[in-house]
Amino acid sequence: MKTVVITGATSGIGFAVCHELAASNYSIVGVGRSDENCKKALELLKKEYPDVPIVFFSGDLSRQIEVLRVSNEIRAYIEAKCNGQLYGLINNAGCVRSYYMTTEDGYEYQFAVNHLASFLLTYYLMECLIKSKGRIIMTSSGSHKRMKMHWNDIMFKHGYNPLLVYKQSKLANLLFAYGLNDRFANHGISAYGIEPGLVKTDIGFKNTGGLVKTVWKFRKREGVSADIPAKIYSFLLNQAEAPKGLYYDKSGEAEYSRQVNKENADRLWALSEQLCGVRWG
Amino acid sequence: MIDLTVLITGASGGLGRAFALECAARGFDILLTDINAEGLERIKNGILRQYDVHVYTKPCDITNDSEVNSLINYAKEAGIKLDMLLNVAGIDHEGGFTTQSLNNITEILRVNIEATLRMTYKALSIRRKTGRFYIVFVSSLAAMYPMPLKATYAASKRFLFDFSLALGQELKSENVKVLALCPGGMPTNDNCIKAIEAQGVWGEITTNTLEKIAHRTISMALHGRKVYVPGTINRLFSIVSRIVPASITTKLIHSRWHRAQEKWIINQG
Repeated sequence: MKTVVITGATSGIGFAVCHELAASNYSIVGVGRSDENCKKALELLKKEYPDVPIVFFSGDLSRQIEVLRVSNEIRAYIEAKCNGQLYGLINNAGCVRSYYMTTEDGYEYQFAVNHLASFLLTYYLMECLIKSKGRIIMTSSGSHKRMKMHWNDIMFKHGYNPLLVYKQSKLANLLFAYGLNDRFANHGISAYGIEPGLVKTDIGFKNTGGLVKTVWKFRKREGVSADIPAKIYSFLLNQAEAPKGLYYDKSGEAEYSRQVNKENADRLWALSEQLCGVRWG
Repeated sequence: MIDLTVLITGASGGLGRAFALECAARGFDILLTDINAEGLERIKNGILRQYDVHVYTKPCDITNDSEVNSLINYAKEAGIKLDMLLNVAGIDHEGGFTTQSLNNITEILRVNIEATLRMTYKALSIRRKTGRFYIVFVSSLAAMYPMPLKATYAASKRFLFDFSLALGQELKSENVKVLALCPGGMPTNDNCIKAIEAQGVWGEITTNTLEKIAHRTISMALHGRKVYVPGTINRLFSIVSRIVPASITTKLIHSRWHRAQEKWIINQG
């Protein structure tokens, strides 16, 4: 049985992906922010899939120290129960913030959660992924288009615009996937970004205020159920041969921005190493 | 404006962290203190990964005299001479006067007033002898009015506001510039965002982003300004407070806070 780690697994797309994958007989390792939500999600899933191994680890991925702690717990679990092999990592946890706010590490919140946390978690779990020639999937978004990396003010300290910061973080997800393929394809690793489409989740309601909430109230009405994008994730994991594309939506391989190139990917890679205090060997 | 060294209290959370990042972005060396030792390490790492400055940290409960002494000794031993002090550490406890513990109430005074003055007194002893010294007190928009349901907090901030102006005058000849910062609500953490939201449109328009406040506060302090009320609406409020009799504004504020707190409590539940 293949094991998959899913972050942001207690609600929205992440929870739907847990369902989808448990139904396809993957062993599930969920990560969620609150202990309480993790317990609830675990209970719901266990009821439906009593024979599938499912565990949850809770941690606040905005804090790098917590990413380390959660990774250690996951690694110990994978060593003990899965022969040290991790087949899939779905970096799905994401957030929106209405204001410039910093994490305890002093980084802008959306950048820290939507990108840096994925970068760091992937770093810590890479050894297990390589053993299984694993696949890494980021929940990116079509909103990465018509956006450039703000290299001279990556945290948007000057002129915070929640939407642009979100767009940049989703572009960063794709650049990270690009960088992973570049460096680890010869280890058997494949990385992807997914455009889930507009989905009825609560991302725009969590710890946001004013305009972001109002806009999301209207946008959410147009959204589809999270079960639909969940199929894209299972498609990418189910193929015997790893799909060759980088970016997928519900109709298959999709076009991505020209900003997703080696130059930007390398630059983001170096910056992320710097900001996470790690070096990939 | 290079080579300034700044001491920041309450540096691992909200506004203190924003100040730490702002000072580092300006190339200032910083001495950070907070009661939360782990938080200090985190922000220190984050800053060192982003900026090329010296970051000193020393955890300290500023209500404790001997801990403040060890902070000052630590600074002396590290050869630190201060050019600026940002008094950010402060607390509030939600609830009316009779509905919370007496200890909560006196703690507000101990931290916001007593500890802030202790820190200011001792920080002045390790100021750089040449050049200006800057002090910022984080007062509040709440200092502008008597505030029912936040009576102790608002009064403690009023204390800092008056004290700041007086001290600035008193130390003028010693080349010390003192600024009182009077912000409205700030989105420092997820709880604050919920509280701001509970105030509805009033919360929304009196809220300013932290990085802007931090940036402008430092600029204003360096220019020797005495009071900074961030935000146009907030400045209007502070002007109104000087015109409208306190008895009337107090009534208005009471009804507003009453509603906001009810809503806040419902949201919490």
